[in-house]
Amino acid sequence: MMAKMKKAQSQTPAVESQSPAPVAPQPGQLQRRRMPRWAWLLLVVVVAGGLFLIPGGQREDLDVAAEFDLHPLVKIPAIGPIDLSITKGVVYLWIATAVLVVAAIVISRSLKPTPSRFQFAMESLYGLVREGIVNSVMKSGGDTWFPYIASVFFFVLTSNFVGLIPLPFAEHNQFGFYAATANLYVTIGLALFTFVFTHYAGIKKHGFFRYVKSWVPSSAPPVLKQLIFVIHVVSEFFRLVSLSVRLFANMLAGHAILGVFFAMALIFQNYLAALVLQGGSVFIYMFEIFVAFIQAFIFAILSAVYIGGALEQEH
Amino acid sequence: MDAEAAKLIGAGIAMGAGAVGPGIGLGILLGKAYESMARQPEISGDIRTSMFIGIGVTEAVALYAFVVALILIFVA
Repeated sequence: MMAKMKKAQSQTPAVESQSPAPVAPQPGQLQRRRMPRWAWLLLVVVVAGGLFLIPGGQREDLDVAAEFDLHPLVKIPAIGPIDLSITKGVVYLWIATAVLVVAAIVISRSLKPTPSRFQFAMESLYGLVREGIVNSVMKSGGDTWFPYIASVFFFVLTSNFVGLIPLPFAEHNQFGFYAATANLYVTIGLALFTFVFTHYAGIKKHGFFRYVKSWVPSSAPPVLKQLIFVIHVVSEFFRLVSLSVRLFANMLAGHAILGVFFAMALIFQNYLAALVLQGGSVFIYMFEIFVAFIQAFIFAILSAVYIGGALEQEH
Repeated sequence: MDAEAAKLIGAGIAMGAGAVGPGIGLGILLGKAYESMARQPEISGDIRTSMFIGIGVTEAVALYAFVVALILIFVA
């Protein structure tokens, strides 16, 4: 205690000398000498140089794009044009469904007044979807459409997160990364749900002709009305494309970048490069977690915007 | 120049030129979002939500270019 106070007093002057003054040893205490700064620098240079110069291992061929190929795991003969064999994508979809269903059952059976951490996380996500997405965006049909928006949010979130866990479904049963939502067919299926529900909600509320008439402003010359109608129809279909491609391309690009970073740590057969790139891989992995959450949120909130827009259109 | 080289060059140009617009757009979007959050800190939650929606829609345009590049490399 006395040695510490003395050291604090001797370090308060603004000018810090290159090598700090040695502390006078108290009787019965070990004398500790701080390593001067140049010694730390020399140690770092020696370690880095040594890691750089150690010869690396055998070069392997790393194919990043092969992660996205779908080979059938269990071959089931096709019915007509539909190939029913179970591939990696199918298994990942089942895993996401199973995780969601089990988590929901577990949580709903064990709700406590003082929430556990898992219950608190689930309640936060529920509050986010309820307040942040449905109640803040959809003016009228919030209660009717909340189950769909929440299902889509949780399913996309779970699929994206499961895609960040290495599971043994790659070739030859190796461990590999794959996201179910990195498959265009899966995201088109999800976007089709939103598309169909948008028009179903609009037609159910307004009737078919009034809904279609609400796409064009009523006070416009007929030629302009036809043009606006065509543009609106094209933009409705483009919403389908953009919703699906946004999620698909984000997950695909994220996994490709992850694959490249992980592979780069092995390509230069050099321990120093591997160490540095391993650190970079951790950061890009954290960014991918953020992107996974954001993409689920954006899919859900855009679905809510489209459905809410169809429900309230009164041009 | 053979087809394979042309495809790869095309993919590079597609992604490179396709990232310029969304980059500028994201910069403007985020600048305006931060500005408005500084003017009215009490609604910065709503601003942040709208900002994330805007980010998602704008980055999708860059990802269309990415998909075109992928199609050029792997499919065409």
